Amino acid sequence: MRLAGGLIDLGRTLRFTFDGKPYEGHPGDTLASALLANDVRLVGRSFKYHRPRGVFSAGSEEPNALVELRSGARREPNTRATVTELFDGLEAHSQNRWPSLSFDALAVNDLFADFLTAGFYYKTFMWPRALWEKLYEPAIRRAAGLGSLSMQPDPDAYDKGFLHCDLLVVGAGAAGLAAALTAARAGARVILADEDSRLGGRLLSESDRLDDAPAGEWITKAEAEFASLPNIRVMRRTTVFGAFDHGVYGAVERVSDHLAEPGAQVRQTLWRITAKRTILAAGATERHIPFRNNDRPGIILAGALRAYANRWAVSPARRVAIFTNNDDGHRTARDLLAKGVGVAAVVDSRADARATGDYRLIAGATVSGSKGRLGLTSIEVTHGGGTEWIACGALGVSGGWNPNVHLASHHRGRPIWDEALQTFLPGDDFPAGMVVAGAAAGQGGTAAAMASGAEAAVTALSALGIEAKRPTLPRAEDAAAGLQPLWHVPGKGRAWVDFQNDVTVKDVKLAYQENMRPVEHLKRWTTLGMATDQGKTANVTALAVMAELTGKSIPQTGTTIFRPPYTPVSLSVLGGGDSGAHFRPTRLTPSHEWAKAQGAVFVEVGQWMRAQYFPQAGETHWRQTVDREVLATRKGVGICDVTTLGKVDVQGADAAEFLDRLYCNAMKSLKVGMVRYGLMLREDGHAYDDGTCARLGEQHYVVTTTTAQAGPVYRHMEFARQCLWPELDVQLISTTDAWAQFSVAGPSARRLLERVVDGFDLSNEAFPFMACAGLTVCGGLRARLFRISFSGELAYEIAVPARYGNALMARLVERGADLGATPYGTEALGVMRIEKGHAAGNELNGQTTAQMLGMGRMVSAKKDAIGTVMTRREGLVAETRTLVGLQPVDPAEPVVAGSHLFAGDAAQNTETDQGWITSACYSPHLGSAIGLGLLANGAERLGEVIVAANPLQGQRVALRVVSPHFIDPEGERLRV
Amino acid sequence: MLIPHPLLGPRDAQEFTYLGDAALLNRPDGMAADAQAAFNDYVYLRDNPAGVHRELWFHEQGDRSWVVVTRNTVTHEILGAELARDVALAAKAGAA
Amino acid sequence: MSDLKPLTALGDASARTVTHGVLTLKENNALALVSLALRRDSPEPTPFGLGLPGPGLWASSGSIAALWTGPGQWLLEAPGRAESDFAAEAAAACPGCSVTEQTDGFAAFEVRSAAGEEPILALMAKLVNLDSARFGPGTATRTGLEHMSVFVIRRAADRLAVIGMRSAAGTLWHALETTAARLAEPRA
Repeated sequence: MRLAGGLIDLGRTLRFTFDGKPYEGHPGDTLASALLANDVRLVGRSFKYHRPRGVFSAGSEEPNALVELRSGARREPNTRATVTELFDGLEAHSQNRWPSLSFDALAVNDLFADFLTAGFYYKTFMWPRALWEKLYEPAIRRAAGLGSLSMQPDPDAYDKGFLHCDLLVVGAGAAGLAAALTAARAGARVILADEDSRLGGRLLSESDRLDDAPAGEWITKAEAEFASLPNIRVMRRTTVFGAFDHGVYGAVERVSDHLAEPGAQVRQTLWRITAKRTILAAGATERHIPFRNNDRPGIILAGALRAYANRWAVSPARRVAIFTNNDDGHRTARDLLAKGVGVAAVVDSRADARATGDYRLIAGATVSGSKGRLGLTSIEVTHGGGTEWIACGALGVSGGWNPNVHLASHHRGRPIWDEALQTFLPGDDFPAGMVVAGAAAGQGGTAAAMASGAEAAVTALSALGIEAKRPTLPRAEDAAAGLQPLWHVPGKGRAWVDFQNDVTVKDVKLAYQENMRPVEHLKRWTTLGMATDQGKTANVTALAVMAELTGKSIPQTGTTIFRPPYTPVSLSVLGGGDSGAHFRPTRLTPSHEWAKAQGAVFVEVGQWMRAQYFPQAGETHWRQTVDREVLATRKGVGICDVTTLGKVDVQGADAAEFLDRLYCNAMKSLKVGMVRYGLMLREDGHAYDDGTCARLGEQHYVVTTTTAQAGPVYRHMEFARQCLWPELDVQLISTTDAWAQFSVAGPSARRLLERVVDGFDLSNEAFPFMACAGLTVCGGLRARLFRISFSGELAYEIAVPARYGNALMARLVERGADLGATPYGTEALGVMRIEKGHAAGNELNGQTTAQMLGMGRMVSAKKDAIGTVMTRREGLVAETRTLVGLQPVDPAEPVVAGSHLFAGDAAQNTETDQGWITSACYSPHLGSAIGLGLLANGAERLGEVIVAANPLQGQRVALRVVSPHFIDPEGERLRV
Repeated sequence: MLIPHPLLGPRDAQEFTYLGDAALLNRPDGMAADAQAAFNDYVYLRDNPAGVHRELWFHEQGDRSWVVVTRNTVTHEILGAELARDVALAAKAGAA
Repeated sequence: MSDLKPLTALGDASARTVTHGVLTLKENNALALVSLALRRDSPEPTPFGLGLPGPGLWASSGSIAALWTGPGQWLLEAPGRAESDFAAEAAAACPGCSVTEQTDGFAAFEVRSAAGEEPILALMAKLVNLDSARFGPGTATRTGLEHMSVFVIRRAADRLAVIGMRSAAGTLWHALETTAARLAEPRA
């Protein structure tokens, strides 16, 4: 029912649908207020018993009114109707019901309620275990639950951001506004965040006057002042959901949730706010009083009833009743009367209660029952030993207010029971830098909240050396609560404590009887407080009921603390936009444009996109292409972009000494103008990474790392430089991206390079195997040349400034046309290195040693390099598996990497396992598949036939053990 | 978390890579007679206290300094941070 | 000079530029870069008359600028000189120091605001976790941006430079442009 007034723009109409039926609302409405305005009280079914449920609150604590919002890929389950701003075209559906909301077949669960009590799942579905996944869990998931996902990718964009401030004020109610004003006027950098679309917090929902004017006027003035100040950022629709270490807070800004579609904007932003100080002014949440059948649509928190009337100008019914144990319930009655809503009665549990308005007061009474299958029609009132039924369409329940201490508890700070206020207040171990103010600190009156907010700002800023003046605050009133505790109405039947997870007073009693008495056990046994609302309207009440049962006080019984997030946060926004192509950066090689133009197929190698192979017309299978690239390289010359290898510039007076300690093999003896293969070990003696080390000058080296390990190896080198040997004079600079580097390999490599170098003598005598030099190419371009080979052929790597890489690649292919110059990709690169028996990532996998890789003799015993001591450990020395080549006895048979190796006739089990195949490929050179493997006593078994077992595919292949150097084992090709 | 970088002031922990116990600064002499035993301890035996701990962090997305951070592993309170290079040099000067 | 045709880090023949609202992004492909590191006991040089900045700072003098990149390390900038051998000049100007050519190691993007510093700060807030109060004109730092390591330089109140790995230039440009475009988009 729509009332007059409120913060609703009745001049504009918004159309929306609920379960397919069209309705109308207005700007300013939430989905909940618009539904109430249209007299829709039934909005959902409960989780377990499928009980009809209606709107219970007017804020983010809502346990009942969860709906599926929108449709198609944007369909979003479990959206709280109470915080969903209405927009034109909004589409909402109720959840957890079939076939319809008013007739739900699974409401039959309600008849079996006696079986579905606390611990039901634990007790019932224990056995047989095998049935759990197949039967119980799917059945439970269908019967109990929340909304369903769209099963489509989220079409909207999300992003993230970072803010820094002196003072973060969480909550823009009376306390938060006063705090923000105080701090902003003092010149501090302030962020004021509130989950609502409007500032004002509870002030928006009250009839309070500030300075004898409606509170809205004062809020408008404050907003105007904020807008005029450069040092305050006001963040509406922003929930600060978590307090993390050192003043870091997580917040979600709902940028476009209030629109049908976000358009070019993001849907939400994840903010990471680093605050020197924080004021928690998150207000309070009203608690209810459980009584028999207290979950019918129309039964609502009294403060919410008042908020709907004052702010949203709606009432769930023409005639309402109030059930209260404090003065705040009477305030609701007065406000509703003022709005023209009939108040059937105020039922006050306090015997000495007095009426403060023109309504019927039943003092010393309780509400003990209700009627109305799909919505409240009447309540049963017990007083003076008798009962009376009173007709009403809604009942506002007020059991007092619980401070929203959540963020103060995020570092395990325990709230403390306040006997006078009968509530938990934040304790004294807040997250560092936090001050709590307003209703969150138990200062719930308007004047008190404002004063405490201002005071908190003064305190927080003085710790930062900023002097703030207490502002002149508007005149406001503090209403006393006069609460006398009543935690539940005793009696038969079910009285709900936690609406969202269907936990009743009976369940708490059962948990007590079954000795699940500590709060943490109570929660898990009953699922109390474990729904998406985290029990905001339930936890304290349940605790009080348990206290009553145990005969202990509430503080003796325990307390509950809270974890982030304060309210549910979507995974999409937590990802901050890092999904799909945005999951990680993409790195392109310098010749990417050229390769793309050639129709290369690319492969992701970590962040890199590398050319995998270059298909030509007529090639229908990647193997044809790769075989051609390999054979062309071995016959003529092939060119490959190898820029992705990590490159580190090493300089300094002690650079040689440094590298000698870093690599397990000798480096100090390397002459200027020469390159050496280098193997790094981990300190535990296992192989870490390999590459080449080129000495460009007396005190200048360039070392390379594998593509995958470029980052970690650089970090390792800095660790050695700064932490292990800071006394050495050495400087490290990563230069991976600076140089485009190409491998030019094959018997014609020298002839091709002669066509691009500027008069540089490439003869074997002048520039032998493993030489390096700086030179110029293509008419004066600075370049570096290394005579190194990964393929086993006569080969060079040439490097030029990266911006020229694309042109150099094109030039080399063009100038080498008559030599058969062929670009090759990572596949051919891999084939050729296996043919040559070079270890790569599959062999350098962190489990192998130099000895296993056939490089045991490289490990120098004459020096103390990283890892060398530990290579001499007994267990590593005793390891007999070594790298061997493997070739199928029948050339048509496959070789599969990962297969395990066994002696020909042995049983195949872990005891008889002799090793595994690390790498495999088809070798066009040999005309069969080949592999590299680690085989027990491999070096002594050349010629033996063994078996490779691949039990996953039922394969057993007879392999001959051969040298890992399938190509040119003497290395003659390298040195021509 | 914020790491108080000794030169750059407070920086978000996401810029750093964690390594562990700062005892890794004290690499034994690999040429000493007891090197095997000493390295066994160095590589495998670390303290993992619930409480104050000195640990190594690398400012990977920053100035590439290794930093020794003194942190309470229970409360996450950070009690100090020094450049690992300075710590290592001081230790070597002390040992010499 | 070589007859090879260079490409920009974004794979184009010439520098890319785009404007979204009050923010203009421009690829600074002519910027020459050199890493400079002090050796043990070497005095701090003043290359081309430039006093080297301290931690977290950026300084410019004439046509040369420098930012602190680590203890005893700087990145020297020489606008418009990518095609010259600036590394050799820098080495001559910094005797006894370790000098490494870095021009092609990075892609530099210049952001300019036509409406003062506010749009620059708004852009930064979406990209880097730096406290703008400690990042005024004349400061520079290396930090993370969309999982990349970048140098950010506050050249002036209304100017920001972002220098990232050359190979990831496309990703960096995309991040900058997407953010600038969203900032230019009105909010409902």
